[in-house]
Amino acid sequence: MSTPKVHHHQYDVVIVGAGGAGMRAAIEAGPHAKTAVISKLFPTRSHTGAAQGGMAAALANVEEDNWEWHTFDTVKGGDYLVDQDAAEILAKESVEAVIDLENMGLPFNRTPDGKIDQRRFGGHTRDHGKAPVRRSCYAADRTGHMILQTLYQNCVKLGIEFYNEFYVLDLLMNTVDGVERPSAVVAYDLATGELHVFQGKSIVFATGGFGKIFKTTSNAHTLTGDGVGIIWRKGLPLEDMEFYQFHPTGLAGLGILLSEAARGEGGILRNASGERFMERYAPTIKDLAPRDMVARAMANEVREGRGAGPHKDYVLLDLTHLPPEVIDAKLPDITEFARTYLGVEPYTEPVPVFPTAHYAMGGIPTNVKAEVLRDNDTVVPGLYAAGECACVSVHGANRLGTNSLLDINVFGKRAGIFSVEYAKTADFVPVPEGAVDEVLSLLANVRNSKGTEKVAVLRKELQDTMDKNAQVYRTEESLDEALAKIVELRERYQHISIQDLGQRFNTDLLEAVELGFLLDLAEVLAYTAKERRESRGGHFREDYETRDDEKFMVHSMAYKTGDTIKLGWKPVTITNYPPMERKY
Amino acid sequence: MSAEATTPVIAEVPSFAVTLMVRRYNPEVDSEPKWQDYDLTMYGTDRVLDALHKIKWEVDGSLSFRRSCAHGVCGSDAMRINGRNRLACKTLIKDLDLSQPIYVEPIKGLEVEKDLIVDMNPFYQAYRDIKPFLIASDKPEKERIQSAADRERFDDTTKCILCAACTTSCPVFWTDGQYFGPAAIVNAHRFIFDSRDEAAEVRLDILNDKEGVWRCRTTFNCTEACPRGIQVTRAIAEVKQAVLRGRA
Amino acid sequence: MEIVIETPNSPRKRKGANWEKYGWMYMRISGAVLIVLIFGHLIVNLWDKGVGAIDFAFVAGKWTNPFWQVWDVLMLWLALIHGTNGMRTITNDYAEKEWVRKTLNITLWVVCGALIILGTLVATTFDPCIDPNAVNYLPTVCK
Repeated sequence: MSTPKVHHHQYDVVIVGAGGAGMRAAIEAGPHAKTAVISKLFPTRSHTGAAQGGMAAALANVEEDNWEWHTFDTVKGGDYLVDQDAAEILAKESVEAVIDLENMGLPFNRTPDGKIDQRRFGGHTRDHGKAPVRRSCYAADRTGHMILQTLYQNCVKLGIEFYNEFYVLDLLMNTVDGVERPSAVVAYDLATGELHVFQGKSIVFATGGFGKIFKTTSNAHTLTGDGVGIIWRKGLPLEDMEFYQFHPTGLAGLGILLSEAARGEGGILRNASGERFMERYAPTIKDLAPRDMVARAMANEVREGRGAGPHKDYVLLDLTHLPPEVIDAKLPDITEFARTYLGVEPYTEPVPVFPTAHYAMGGIPTNVKAEVLRDNDTVVPGLYAAGECACVSVHGANRLGTNSLLDINVFGKRAGIFSVEYAKTADFVPVPEGAVDEVLSLLANVRNSKGTEKVAVLRKELQDTMDKNAQVYRTEESLDEALAKIVELRERYQHISIQDLGQRFNTDLLEAVELGFLLDLAEVLAYTAKERRESRGGHFREDYETRDDEKFMVHSMAYKTGDTIKLGWKPVTITNYPPMERKY
Repeated sequence: MSAEATTPVIAEVPSFAVTLMVRRYNPEVDSEPKWQDYDLTMYGTDRVLDALHKIKWEVDGSLSFRRSCAHGVCGSDAMRINGRNRLACKTLIKDLDLSQPIYVEPIKGLEVEKDLIVDMNPFYQAYRDIKPFLIASDKPEKERIQSAADRERFDDTTKCILCAACTTSCPVFWTDGQYFGPAAIVNAHRFIFDSRDEAAEVRLDILNDKEGVWRCRTTFNCTEACPRGIQVTRAIAEVKQAVLRGRA
Repeated sequence: MEIVIETPNSPRKRKGANWEKYGWMYMRISGAVLIVLIFGHLIVNLWDKGVGAIDFAFVAGKWTNPFWQVWDVLMLWLALIHGTNGMRTITNDYAEKEWVRKTLNITLWVVCGALIILGTLVATTFDPCIDPNAVNYLPTVCK
C-alpha cells in the first residue's frame, strides 16, 4: 500500500467531536479565534440527539426551586463522589445555559404564561430530598435532538468550519519549556483515506462515551470511546472509569432508551404480578429514585424470579393509566419506539423494559475550567475536555437524569471560553518529527494483518463478557473473568484481518480501529471496578455491598504504564455536604 | 392490573430466511453499480440495518453504509428499501414482503460514493441556504416569552433529522438537483412560523425562487417517506401560502 | 479536501427573473375560471338537444352574440396557457439535458402562441354568411 497523502492545517482552537459539548465550545470559540471542529460524523448525527427527557435548571418557572437544592441533589445522586465545587458551578450556571439555548432558538415546551415549562425527573427534589421537584426543561421527548439541532444551527450562523467524517486517531504532544503540551491531532479522512494533521494552540476533546463495550446499550454504534482511548494511550490518566450508568428503562432485548420522562410523567414500573415494586426499594420517591437504584431494583426483581415475559427476564413500564393525549403530547417518540420495535401499544399495554448501558460517569479528568489533568492536580496546558468523555467530576458515582445535557452545555461553554483564552496568549507547539508515523503504523497493522480473527466476533465476545460480568451487579470473581477475557481478546486482536483494503469510506478498517479502543477502555473499567472494593452509586459489588467512605471516598485515577495499569486515587472536593447515607 | 395483561408480545422470536439484494458500487474497482444477493436468516425483531450488519460482519466486510444511533433519531441510514425511502434502522424485516428479495439501494438524486453511501453535501448546502437559525434582534435577559399555541405552530417541523429521505424521494429533485427540496423547506418552515423569529420575509424571498417552493408538484412522496411522520407536503403548502401573503 | 461552510449570508445564485410565483398563481386562478367557462360551454351546447344539434348554424348563431365571443376567446386563452404551462413544468421535471428542455419549451410556446392567434382571429372576425347559395345551412340572420 502506498503512503497516504498528508495534509496540514493550523487553527487556534481545534475541537474534536461535534456533539453537544463540541459544538457548544465551538459557539464560544468561533467568534474569537480561528476554530475547526473535526467529527467522525456529520454533526447532527451525534448521540446528543438521542437524549430525550430534558435539561435540569432551577429556573423556578413552575414551582419554588434554587440552585443550591440542585447542587445537593447532584451530590447526593452521585453518592457523594461528586466534586462539590464543580457541582455548584453546574447548578449555578444551569440557568444561564438554558436561557442561552432558548435565546439561540431552542423550542422549549411552554407554560401557560409562555415561559419554559419544567417537569419532574429522577433524583431531583425540593429542599434536600423532601419531594420531587419540576426542574427539567424540555422540548417534548426530544430535548437532546433540539439541543443538537439548535447548536448546529448556530454553528452555521457563525460560519464555524467543520471537517465531517474525519476520524481523529492520535494526539501529538511535544515538550516545550520542559512541559509536555498538545501540538496537533491526526485525523483520517473517511471519504478518501488521506491523513490530516490539525495543529492547534488549544485542543478540545468532546468525543463522547464508549457504551459499545457493552452488548445491551442505548449508545450509538459510533460510541466507541476513541477520544478517551487516545488520551489513555498517551499515558494520561482516566478518572472513575468503574462508574458506568445503566439506564433502567431500555426496551427489553434491544437496549433502546425509553426516557425517564415516562416515569416523570407518571409511568410506573411493575413486576410480573403487577406489583409496583419500587415502593419497596425507595418508599418516598418510588419510581423516580436515581437510576442506579432503579436499575438494580429491576435486575433484582428479575433475579428473584419476579420478571415478566416468557423467560421472566424483564419488568414492565406501565403507562396505561395516562391519558393518550398526555402520552402523545409529552412522550411521542418513546411510545413510537415501543410500537415500532416491540409491537407494543403503550396506550393499552405495559412496555417490556430492562436496564441498558447508558452513560460513563468517568473519563478524562479535568478541572472546572475543562483543562485536562495529567495527575491529581497538574494541568496539561492547552488541552481541554468536555461532555461525556470528560470527568470533572459532576456526576460522581451516578449521574442524575437531565444533568448530562446540562453538563455538555455548561462545561462545553467553559471549554470554549478557556480554550480561546489560552490560544490568545499561547504559541503553536511544534509538530513533532514523524507526526503521522504512529497513525500510519496503526493503520498498516490493521490493513496488513493476515490473521483469521474477525473484528465483529471479538467485539461481540467483549460485549457479552462485559454484560455478564461488569454490569449492574459485580463481584471480584466476575471482574476477574472479564479481565481474563479481555487479555485473551487483546491477544486475538493481533491476528485480525479485514476484507476491505480500499481507500474510500473504509468502514471495515474503521471498526477494527474502534475495537482497539473498546478493548482498552473495557480493561480499564473492569480493572478499576475490581480495585474499588465497595458499592457506591452505579458501581455495585455483591462482595462488598456497602459504601466504604473510610477507604474509598476518593476518585480512582488509572494510568497506562507500558502494558499494565497503574492505579492512583484522588481526593473528593467537599464543600457543604458531608457524606450521608443515600436514602430516597 | 391482571397478571395476564402484564405478559405482552415478544414470546419466542421466530426466525426466517430472507434474501437481500444490495446495490453495490465501489468506484475504486467497479465501472458501474451492480446488484449483489445475500441469503440470511433473520429474526422477527430484526431491522434492515441488522441484516446489513450481518452481511458486513459475517459475509463481506467491504459493504459500506452510514449508521449511528440505530433507532431512528440520528438520520444516518436513509436508503431505498423495496423502492421506498426509509431508515434501515426503523424498518422491521418482518413487515416487508418476504416472498421476494428485499432490494436495498442508495437514496436517489445524490451521487453515490460507495455502496449505500451518497454525497450529502448538496443536500446540506440547500439546508444552509435557507438560513436555518433563529434571527432575532432583541437581547432578552431571560427567555423570550412564547405562548404554547405559538410554540405548537411549528412543532411538526422541529422533528426533522436531516436524513434526506424526503428530498431524495422527490421526483423534481431527481432531475433538478438545484431544487431546494422538501427538507430545506421544512427547516425554513420551522423558523418562518416561529413567533420569535424576525426574518421570515428573508427566507420567504429565498424560497420564492425558480428552484424554490414553486417547484413542488404536491406528489406527497416526501410526506410518505418521512421517518419522523412530518407532514412535509403540508409544510411546503404553508410556506407557499406565506410567500403569497409576503409574511408568515 | 477541505470542507468549508460558506458564510451563512452568501446568497444562493439567482437565475434571471422569477415568474414562478405568478405561474403558480395563474394555474390556480385560471383553473378555477376554466371550470366555470368549460361547464357553461358544455351545458349551453349540449343541454336540451344533445351533440346532434351542433352544426355550422348553431356555432355561427352563437358567435353573433359578443357575449359568447368573449366567453370562447377567454376559454381559448386561459386553457392554452394553462395547458402549455403545465407541459412546461413536466418538461422541466423530466428533461435532463438543458438543450432538450429549452427546445421543448420553445416549441411549446410557439405552438401555443400560434393557436391563440389563429383562434382569436377566427372568433373575432367570423362572418356567418359565407356562402349565400347555401341558404339552408346558414343562420337566420343571413336570410
